[in-house]
Amino acid sequence: MKKSTDFKSYKKEIMGAARNERLRLALSRAVDSFRNNVKNALEKFPHTADLAEEVLKIKEKAVPEMENLARKAIASVEENRGKGYIAGTAEEALKIIEDITGTGKLIVKGKSMTGEEIGLREYLEEKGNEVYETDLGEFIIQKLGDRPMHILSPAIHVPREDVARLFTEVMGHEIAPNAEITDMVAAAREYLRDKFFRADIGISGANVVAAETGTLFIIENEGNIRLATGAPPVHIALVGMEKLVPTLNEAYKVSEVTWRYANYTVPSYVNLVSGPSKTGDIEKVTTYGVHGPREFHVIFLDGGRTKLAEYPKLRQALYCLRCGGCLYECPVFAVTAGHFGDKYFTGIGAVWAAIVNNDPEKAAAVAYTCLTCGRCRERCPVKIDVPEMIIELRKLLAEGEKD
Amino acid sequence: MSSELVPPGLTYLADNIATHQNILGVGKAQGARWAQGLDLPSQAETVFFAGCGYQYSAQLERLTSLARNVDKSIIGAELPMRFARFQKKLGLNLPGIYSSVLSGSNESGAEPLKAAVKVLRRLDIEPGYLAENEPCCGAPLHHAGFQKKFAENARQAYQQLKSAGVRRVIGIVPYCTHALARLFPLYVDGYDLEVRHFLEVVAEKLPSHKLRFPRKVKVTYHDPCQLVRYLSVIEEPRRILNSIENIELVETDWTRGAWATCCGGGGGFETVFPALSQVLAVNRVNELMETGADVIVTHCPGCVMQLKDGLRQLKIKGVEVLDLAQVIDLSMEK
Repeated sequence: MKKSTDFKSYKKEIMGAARNERLRLALSRAVDSFRNNVKNALEKFPHTADLAEEVLKIKEKAVPEMENLARKAIASVEENRGKGYIAGTAEEALKIIEDITGTGKLIVKGKSMTGEEIGLREYLEEKGNEVYETDLGEFIIQKLGDRPMHILSPAIHVPREDVARLFTEVMGHEIAPNAEITDMVAAAREYLRDKFFRADIGISGANVVAAETGTLFIIENEGNIRLATGAPPVHIALVGMEKLVPTLNEAYKVSEVTWRYANYTVPSYVNLVSGPSKTGDIEKVTTYGVHGPREFHVIFLDGGRTKLAEYPKLRQALYCLRCGGCLYECPVFAVTAGHFGDKYFTGIGAVWAAIVNNDPEKAAAVAYTCLTCGRCRERCPVKIDVPEMIIELRKLLAEGEKD
Repeated sequence: MSSELVPPGLTYLADNIATHQNILGVGKAQGARWAQGLDLPSQAETVFFAGCGYQYSAQLERLTSLARNVDKSIIGAELPMRFARFQKKLGLNLPGIYSSVLSGSNESGAEPLKAAVKVLRRLDIEPGYLAENEPCCGAPLHHAGFQKKFAENARQAYQQLKSAGVRRVIGIVPYCTHALARLFPLYVDGYDLEVRHFLEVVAEKLPSHKLRFPRKVKVTYHDPCQLVRYLSVIEEPRRILNSIENIELVETDWTRGAWATCCGGGGGFETVFPALSQVLAVNRVNELMETGADVIVTHCPGCVMQLKDGLRQLKIKGVEVLDLAQVIDLSMEK
């Protein structure tokens, strides 16, 4: 893996962010609205806290078993006439996907942190494909040539005036800086509309996967994932191995806790995908690729996850549901957004940088930016103890791996 | 201690602990000056553990302010640098500056320690104080990642306390108290010191005392991270403040108790990111000011320093930061 920025330029980057008034304004609005929403969601569905405890137990059992679960899930997916793969490394995952896509294809993508982790979009573009991010925030980021600043709201740091300017450029017609947000959204819808239907391939991630049926649970609100995984003839899903749980019932519980702590009473859509589209309506002959994809590929990425699972105090990083709640509680994130982080943000991002991404310099920079104040732990549905992990990680960084 | 991956600010504190048994590398006697005139016994079964934070508060404040100015003026160009180099480059003699800070000011920042001892005495607790012989808890070693050094220091500190005949410790600095109460047992076999925080002791004994603050004030309370989220001291400070006549406790809507926002001064963070730490202090003061309080009460030397700086940066006049130990002391009938 590449050795990224040294501490000096990292520090310069986060101070630059901390002095950016617009960024801070955008963030403080986001924090307020997140807190209100999550409070309402939890008050309306008070069973969520107990369910979260159950989910922690599910994850504690599933994470050490993730390789077995991946094999089981692949067997299930293949029974459903899809194809499953285990990718040991990011490079392997990219290769598997490239072998499916080839070159010169039109690809529509749903937001995926795992895709971000392995640099999937950039890689596919390099290989001569036309790739469109379809999540609105991710679309903005792609067109800005920026990187995501939050796991669920990647464009959290971009104020609306900047979006108007960007869209004017991208879409070739004027969108006034004071235009309504609805108009901006409509412009994106219009621009992406035909891409979904012209696309050769749709790519998504997944929030959780049930091994017993090979079912992907994909939570969303915009509807872009329905289209991206439904309209093109091929659907490829890239999933971190830690997202696997044994049963559908458990997967549902993980999903509900994920969206609730991501501040939704209920999301607009939860897509359950277990295999390619099929019909038996003509003479009971099963035929694949009716209105949905003919091909369904699922790649389970290890990429350091099984290694991370071997660290007793750091393993909990794999329990993360990616609800993003902790980010809103971090006092440093509140002024720097995703500049405090690597592929994943804030303190927990340091653990991923160190073990999964194997980048100790970046990991150290991020680890020593954590206040270890512990408010993230209060928010976390699965009680991930970030300060504990940070202290452990600093020990590994300062004293070397061996005890 | 020189892992290349550990930021210099933290290695500076760690080196000082190793060489001088305090975070600033100054003489221990300098730290113990606050207790002059209190006639605290140097040997007792129950000791008051003063820690570095308050004892070297004035020096720390000076160091942080120097670091902040340097950080702002040459941001990204010269930092990080080793503090030793940083001193040389600026032609600074930090120990000299520390001494001049001490002689030049009436306020040393150690007042809460004196106040705490006076409060304990009024509650009929007569603690000892080890002064120059008080070991350093070594918490910054733990935070920097030097666990082996921390463990070694913990064992030595424990031995030192034991050989002084100590059985019970009343801690006041949240970091030190957490280290002594929760971290030491992980590294010291047969650890048998009873460690309690000052506020726990006070909250238990206080109901029999009448408390009255000298003037009518609106007080907001800032929970130090280590106290609230590491030691679960949430309810005690509120119970104490609510029992004081003339004090009206006004709290933030959301960012209180377990949800309190960090002041930006955690675990040596202020030495690694001096300027960012200041931004966080300002943010926290802004949150606290929404309550309309005219006194910010907290109970951690780091928080006191950060919040005072936040007020200064915001040019807020007429609001002061007080340590809870001082508030209790001022409220006890003379």
